[in-house]
Amino acid sequence: MIPSRRSFLLGAAALGSTVVTPDVAEAARLISAQEAVTSDWGLVTRDVERDLAPHRLTRIHGRAPAGLEGALYRNGPAKFRRPGGSAEHWFDGDGLIRRFGVADGQATLSARFADTPKRRQEAEMDAMVVPGFGSPGDPRARIGSNDDANAANTSVLRVGDDLWALWEGGSPMAMDPDTLETRGFVTLRDDLKSMPFLAHPRVERDGRIWNLGMNGTQAIVWRLAADGALEDARVVRLPRASYVHDFTATARHLVIVLQPWVQVRQTMPFSSGFEWQAGTGTRVLVLDKDDLAVRREFELPDFGFFHLGEAWEEADGTIRFDVCATDDMRFAAAGASKILNGVPVGGEPARLALAALRPDGSAQLERTAFIAEFPRSDPRRAGLARRYSLHTSGEHADRPFASAVGLYDWSTGRDAQYDFGPDQVVEEMVVVPKPGRSGETDAWLVGPTINLREQATELHVLDMARLADGPVASWRSHTAVPAGFHGIWAG
Amino acid sequence: MKTRIALMAAVAALATATLTPDAHAQDASVKVEFELGRSTGSVMLVLFASEADYNTNRPVRNAVIPADATTVSVTFEGLEPGSYAIKSFHDINGNGDMDTNPFGMPIEPYAFSNNALGNMGPASWSEARFTVEGDTVQTLILR
Ligand SMILES: [Fe+2]
Repeated sequence: MIPSRRSFLLGAAALGSTVVTPDVAEAARLISAQEAVTSDWGLVTRDVERDLAPHRLTRIHGRAPAGLEGALYRNGPAKFRRPGGSAEHWFDGDGLIRRFGVADGQATLSARFADTPKRRQEAEMDAMVVPGFGSPGDPRARIGSNDDANAANTSVLRVGDDLWALWEGGSPMAMDPDTLETRGFVTLRDDLKSMPFLAHPRVERDGRIWNLGMNGTQAIVWRLAADGALEDARVVRLPRASYVHDFTATARHLVIVLQPWVQVRQTMPFSSGFEWQAGTGTRVLVLDKDDLAVRREFELPDFGFFHLGEAWEEADGTIRFDVCATDDMRFAAAGASKILNGVPVGGEPARLALAALRPDGSAQLERTAFIAEFPRSDPRRAGLARRYSLHTSGEHADRPFASAVGLYDWSTGRDAQYDFGPDQVVEEMVVVPKPGRSGETDAWLVGPTINLREQATELHVLDMARLADGPVASWRSHTAVPAGFHGIWAG
Repeated sequence: MKTRIALMAAVAALATATLTPDAHAQDASVKVEFELGRSTGSVMLVLFASEADYNTNRPVRNAVIPADATTVSVTFEGLEPGSYAIKSFHDINGNGDMDTNPFGMPIEPYAFSNNALGNMGPASWSEARFTVEGDTVQTLILR
């Protein structure tokens, strides 16, 4: 499907007037309307019954670029339903860790579930009983600690000889990066056993890892060496108990964004304890990495979010970061439950915005019109000034999942896009620098899609400098793996 | 999510418990065996003889067992036959407390009789209750 004329047209249509003549755009629109898959979203959140043995993917387009060798590791929930009871929210399925290998021009895929106490207990009972972000749980659940509810289903981190599967409410789960065999929960220090470790660590250019773990108005700040050794951990107080799924960092600061979605009670499901406090603003706490006691606070207008981009500091001290901002957190509270039941959300998707925190204490949010989620950027510029934000796009009220990938240029306000078409669900893409090159777009973009028509997962490589041209290489599996959340590239 | 386990009550029970003389010594006994992940510190346990006492942490017996092996045990003799329940933890660092992480979660292994696990809280009496009759054995996993 990828190299077909149709997908080319659809991709071109997304670029709007820049390269497309009106008749071509109209043709694309008509084809799109005729062939659009009628919301067969079931595949996106389907249940995977067993681990997926390593297998070669079939090349369907182009060829792997020379110099692209490594693995894309991704994580996402892939088991939601059992005869005795089912998860009620997309975020509460069991984590399936996927490894897309690229070597010698060929691509492979394997996937294994994190072998968590949650999964063991639920397999034994043949019922999903453990409470979570949006699932109330079942009285039969046996939960002695937060890690008994750990779904290990959100993201991955490469640390030393391990691959960590991350879930924001508990410990990292160590996996074998080659076999994906589960090694066990990571305790970074005995007295910090079971402390939460967000699924969105920030990795500095030299490999040092910063992360948070949340508990209402408390956060633990983790600092790890590149090999995973704990360098420091301390608890900081926050001005309010906002939902924090992600934070960001400049080279010198941690930036903790406190949205007006605030925890007002401890209850299950976890998300039902939060309240949207309209009009109270989104507050931003900035901590010095060198001395966490040095803090500044800023205030932005109300917005909700799951994901932030990397932050940077400019010469005059202004801190900027991108954010995929929503008007509220309706999706979080309810939408992702509906997705699990195959019903489109009907809410407003997140749009790309840029926050500026000024040295004088003022702050602004510059919103764009571009629909955006899963923001990523050049890892060579982590914490430093940059020009581009990579993101997924194409969601709308009747379509809860992305169909396109976009690259927003903050210097021109233009968003280069490639749309895979209505029958493809586009997942997060990662930026993989080209060896020996340093330009911000000297990189490949690597990520999967789910081809709903072919009922198969595909892997794509795009050239970041020519994103709108679409994939330079695509492969297809014999099976569809449900949509994942976040991934990393390990070269 | 933040699961909170209210186990501090068990610790409080240990702190205030005193050995009670056997006013009505009987023939029944319970041997409590512990399987440990580490052999340091000590195992602390309290035995309750009724639901009310279990819920209000008024033990009928207690014990502190040196954790000098990965399997240790204690036997409570002279019990009246009937229903009992146990709360226990492995005080790995030997400081006399059930230590918690900075967010209040236990970091030392704990167990209730029957190896009952609660649902984000202590196991209930009905889950932890067992019958002592003649010579009874409970094997609890603390790791
Ligand atoms: Fe995320």
